[in-house]
Amino acid sequence: MKSGGTMVGRMTLISRAASICLVSILALFCMAACQKADTNKEPKTGVAAFYDGRKIKWIIPYSPGGGYDEYARLISPYLEKYTGARVDIYNMPGAGGLRGNNELFGAAKNGLTIGSINGSAMVTNELAETRGADYKISEFEFLGRIVSDTRVLVISLDSGYETFEQIWDAGEDVIIGATGLGGSTYVDAVVANEAFDLQLKIVHGFDSSSVLRQAMLRGDIIGSWGSWGSALDAVDEGRHKVVLQSGMERSDDLADVPTAFEMAEKTPDPEHTRAILAAWEALHRVGRPVAAPPGTPPERIQFLREAFAKALHDPELIAKAEKSGRVIRYASGEEMEQLVEEAMQMPDNIKQFFISAVKGQL
Amino acid sequence: MGIIEGMLSGFLQAVSLDVFPYLFVGAVFGLVIGVIPGLSGHFAMAMIIPFLYSMEPAPGIAFLLGAHSTVAQGGGLTAIFFSTPGTGQNAATLLDGPPMRDKGLGAMAAGAALTACFLGATFGALALALLLPGLQRIVLFFGPPEIFVLALLALTFVAVLGKEDIIRSLIAALAGLLLAMIGLDNVTNTERFTFGWLELRDGLELVPVILGLFAVAEMFELWAKGGSLSGTQAKVLSTKETQKQIFQGVVEAFRHWWLILRCSAIGAAMGLIPGLGSAPAAFVAYGHAKQSSKSPEEFGKGNIEGVIGSEAANDAVEGGALASTIAFGVPGSSSMAILLGALFVLGQETGPNMLTYHVDVIFIMIFTIIIGNFIGMVGGMFLVNPLSRATGVRASILVPVLLVIIFTGAFAVQQSFFDIGIALVFGIIGYLMKELGFSRAALLIGFVLGFTVEKNLYLAVQLSGPDFILDPIPLTLATITIVFLAYNVWTIIRDRSQSEPVHSEPQE
Repeated sequence: MKSGGTMVGRMTLISRAASICLVSILALFCMAACQKADTNKEPKTGVAAFYDGRKIKWIIPYSPGGGYDEYARLISPYLEKYTGARVDIYNMPGAGGLRGNNELFGAAKNGLTIGSINGSAMVTNELAETRGADYKISEFEFLGRIVSDTRVLVISLDSGYETFEQIWDAGEDVIIGATGLGGSTYVDAVVANEAFDLQLKIVHGFDSSSVLRQAMLRGDIIGSWGSWGSALDAVDEGRHKVVLQSGMERSDDLADVPTAFEMAEKTPDPEHTRAILAAWEALHRVGRPVAAPPGTPPERIQFLREAFAKALHDPELIAKAEKSGRVIRYASGEEMEQLVEEAMQMPDNIKQFFISAVKGQL
Repeated sequence: MGIIEGMLSGFLQAVSLDVFPYLFVGAVFGLVIGVIPGLSGHFAMAMIIPFLYSMEPAPGIAFLLGAHSTVAQGGGLTAIFFSTPGTGQNAATLLDGPPMRDKGLGAMAAGAALTACFLGATFGALALALLLPGLQRIVLFFGPPEIFVLALLALTFVAVLGKEDIIRSLIAALAGLLLAMIGLDNVTNTERFTFGWLELRDGLELVPVILGLFAVAEMFELWAKGGSLSGTQAKVLSTKETQKQIFQGVVEAFRHWWLILRCSAIGAAMGLIPGLGSAPAAFVAYGHAKQSSKSPEEFGKGNIEGVIGSEAANDAVEGGALASTIAFGVPGSSSMAILLGALFVLGQETGPNMLTYHVDVIFIMIFTIIIGNFIGMVGGMFLVNPLSRATGVRASILVPVLLVIIFTGAFAVQQSFFDIGIALVFGIIGYLMKELGFSRAALLIGFVLGFTVEKNLYLAVQLSGPDFILDPIPLTLATITIVFLAYNVWTIIRDRSQSEPVHSEPQE
């Protein structure tokens, strides 16, 4: 009996000790939680409190695995870090980016939906009044831009050509490949033909940039236009070469490749060439912005803009982007409004030219 | 680095403690994704990419490719037990897998499918290893003219698939070709058959069409018929019997090693050619299995050769697709496009650089595919019992549950409600086709290849003029196509004239 009593006593002792332990662990948790809250110097009030723990939906108008998707998956952890919200990526491919873009334009105006935009394509689609372009790009609330586009003309080194001048002289013998009629690789090729008075044969209808690359390796085509990001690895392998880049100034990683503007001096009508190139460049500067639907409350836009800026300047993100060959060229939301305006205001004759290029009438 | 040295180093890395756990987790993840209808290999890979930024190359590759390699195995199980292709590639398994289940041989079909997948993947991976030295030249043989003729050749397999009723099969295949025309034609920039709907501008998405044609149609039938998927409810196998059947299936797969070898070769070759796509490979292999079988009349009624052939090709495709991805960075399938992006994230360069300096990385991929598929095979066998039990559930319970999963899968591809409608419409079409005896496989082949045929014909004519057909490779392939077609037409006529007297007797 006696020993039994002590057993019971011991049991209660143990259970008491256990409950004390539990309580103290709970207390520790609370303290840790408080401390965590303390280290976030500003207490979560107002907009920050609104976003804390909420879910932000980030619409990507293209499939998983593409450039737009990769950028978003790269950036979203940092956007989470600076907003305190969870960021979920929604791939909504379709109609060349129009579907995702329309979805974003009409999304709930509560600041919990944002989306990536293919800047130059959405501007030209709006100008050309493409069916299904149910948005006004200037009305978007821009958070900022991830990157501006550097378009490059890539040629196969086996083709025997090494510079843009040689291609210029060769004229009609040169075949440039492109994806869909009116798509960006096609528009680039048409713009270059018009600006430099070239007669290059453009064959469109290739499936994707990777099929274009194979056609270059086979010698079916000499080269094609594309974004610098997607041309990067093939060029690194030494099979392809960039002979011309868009823009006014040479970008850092393409320091020995002439820009289209440098070449403008050599055309018969430099004035006309520069006018076309300027409009083209304005489109590229719109690049790849991230925006919220029009009508989102201004204080939430302000908060998201700040978080977006901090995310894109996070040293960890910059290191990761560099490692994966993804260039970041940030522009703020305010700057984006300016850039979109500039892109939309083309001289009439040039606007007509771009519209027919997008419609595939050239 | 020499090939032998690279192989050794690759193997040791793949089984090392730094890499193997990722390979294992990846393989199991892929298997589960595969079992869920609508979620496919590139979904699994896209989910994994965010983890890669902080990973070393070897474990990253093992994680990613491990997940990708087992997806088709999981998909095969769903195809056999629920008549629902887990991924698009498993559509051919539907022709003979479910009929075997109806005969009470579901577990045997599953065992054979899992083993065939493993052997096919191993073949594909080894083919990749053997082809390494000459890889670059081989891939460059295939451009628009060659792909056009090859796609035509693949189309003629409709003749084999639908031999019993050639007219109905042709109708179905031509309907498939018509369906492929829907959407924006990227040659003329005109919208075809879109009826002004923006949703149709990119054409019909493959996954909802397959889910509709086969899975939803099956649900309708089950609903109309009542009962359960496994026929009578009492016939659900005991655990012991299931195990015995799985083992029999494994033995059957090894007994058909020659068929597996041939079908794997078809799969690997079709995967190697960029732009042909991996979905038709299983059908072509199925057609070949039927053509070469001693009992072709049993195909479609639960012949194990049909399951083995298509599943072997299914996984061999990836070895071929990987080859063209590595050689040039030209991805052979949509999953490979994602892999390419991931390799870049991991700091690996494809092309000559990898072939010369990083042979070990290539062998990590090869061993990942082989080991991953082995894990998938063993892991899949553990899933057979619960899945086969689920087929015994009453239709009134099973149909709503499966329909929810199927429609979620259709929606998930591009977050589109419209695709749910597509799956529903094709469910009705598929049900009617099955009832009226039209070949759904023929329709699917027409649909999958229609766009490839049209687009590559345009490119071939643009690039080399109408004479492209006289170039050596296209000419050879075209001759094979014509001979193949002629032979099949001849056998059809022969069979008919042999059977005609029997039919016409009463009339005389």
